[in-house]
Amino acid sequence: MGQLLQYILNGLAKGSIYSLIALGLVVIYRGTGHLNFAQGEMALFATFGAWWIHDHGVPLLFAITLAAALAFVGGGVIEFGLIRPAGKKSPFAVVVVTIGLFQALNSLSGLLFQGAGTGLPFGTLFPNKPNDFFRLPGDAIWRYENVGVLASVLAITGILFALFQKTKVGLAMRMVANNPDSAKLSGVSTTRILMLSWGISALIGAIGGALVAGINTNVNLATMFGVFLLASAAATLGGLDSPLGAVVGGLSLGVVESLVSNYPKDWWASSYVGADTSVAVAFLIILVVLLVRPAGLFGSSRVERV
Amino acid sequence: MNALLEVRSLRAGYGAVQVLHGFDMRVNEGEVAVILGANGAGKTTTMRAISGMIQRKGSIVFDGEPITRTPPHEIVRMGIAQVPQGRGTFTDLSVADNLRAGAYVHKGIHIESDMREWYDVFPRLSERREQKAGSLSGGEQQMLAIARALMSKPRLLLCDEPSLGLAPIITQELFAILQRLNTENGLTILVVEQNANLAVKIAHSVFVLETGSIVASGTADEIANDDAVRKAYLGY
Repeated sequence: MGQLLQYILNGLAKGSIYSLIALGLVVIYRGTGHLNFAQGEMALFATFGAWWIHDHGVPLLFAITLAAALAFVGGGVIEFGLIRPAGKKSPFAVVVVTIGLFQALNSLSGLLFQGAGTGLPFGTLFPNKPNDFFRLPGDAIWRYENVGVLASVLAITGILFALFQKTKVGLAMRMVANNPDSAKLSGVSTTRILMLSWGISALIGAIGGALVAGINTNVNLATMFGVFLLASAAATLGGLDSPLGAVVGGLSLGVVESLVSNYPKDWWASSYVGADTSVAVAFLIILVVLLVRPAGLFGSSRVERV
Repeated sequence: MNALLEVRSLRAGYGAVQVLHGFDMRVNEGEVAVILGANGAGKTTTMRAISGMIQRKGSIVFDGEPITRTPPHEIVRMGIAQVPQGRGTFTDLSVADNLRAGAYVHKGIHIESDMREWYDVFPRLSERREQKAGSLSGGEQQMLAIARALMSKPRLLLCDEPSLGLAPIITQELFAILQRLNTENGLTILVVEQNANLAVKIAHSVFVLETGSIVASGTADEIANDDAVRKAYLGY
């Protein structure tokens, strides 16, 4: 029982990171229908930026905040300078551009930040000494850092939800997501909203990157590969246009991954189905879900009366 | 009378294909103008050219201001609202949010009272205010699309084939509402219609569009008495 709880808590910790990167994907997908393959590397670049600012004597929290703010601007610039011109050619051109951006940002990180390949030390925002944890029933422990990461993710989700549902700019974002032509005809500058979406997405990514680096106590060029892969799976699982789906998808994927990588080991005292296969099992579950619900768990399937 | 909308040698199209071949058109303040025409005549293209949704050449002047190069989201602010063909509601948003979306160009204070006003005109929408627009019937969605456009407080309402796909009785109800908006609220309306009989009944002036050019225009009476037009478009 305590063991199960422990695995679930570990899963939630990893899953909350997937949720955050998935949220970034969803924010862009809703506005444009584009899957941003560079989401992980945009986050990585911002995380290196936070490291660099911190390395110049700025406290970590401020360094991350500053990097996230710069990422917000950078996201808007990427939309304006790269995505929009490509989008005028064809949707496929956008896919190619985001893949190119993925490659470019990774290489640029390696070029700009000495030691990025092997890894640079990255601090955490939360207490993480060996005995910084809550003791839960059944000898399970919940580390303060994991609590902090999960709480941050839930807070960001809440803020994003309030932005979408309660503000005028959120209404405009929902209008553009649902019907771009009618949004224009109602007075929304759709180009400005798309820039903003990329900015918000990059900002969320920057925070996600910093949280991953904090957990790993290190940031290197490969930090975001696996995270991005699972985050895009989480977004697909949740339904690419649903922020709630991204969070639920990310958390459940983290938990599944944790259970699959631990339980068989306990049962058979061997690792046939151990850590290496956990990602495969996670993807298998996604496959089954998508067969039953092609739009994902929370995605809108666009059934309309006419 | 005072021209609210003045169009001169309007040319527009999609990519290399030119659809409108340069015509003039004038809509006076306070009147209902109707554009009649067969499929492919360029009716929707005309609407999209006026609301700024496509590239256009020539001159479009609204209330003395040239809008030929103005983007659509600014044209709305100047007082032209378009109900696009095929409803154009926000199907994933609630009815209430659709109306708020329509009021996007305005500041918050009067929005809720404006919404109540249009709920009175369209009681069916009031009953369904928390429902998603996509779940409404075709007629209700068309009403919602019109109410949404009205929330921007337009001086000129563009309606692109409002009767498309609706039952005859709903179409009649719809045209009765358009007529009331014109007579009671003094709203200027430009309607594109295939259902010519109904449209001509509430119209002051009529334009007949054929393959991108206006081939006949005049008051509703003149058009109804023009043998060729009557046979081709009114069917009697």
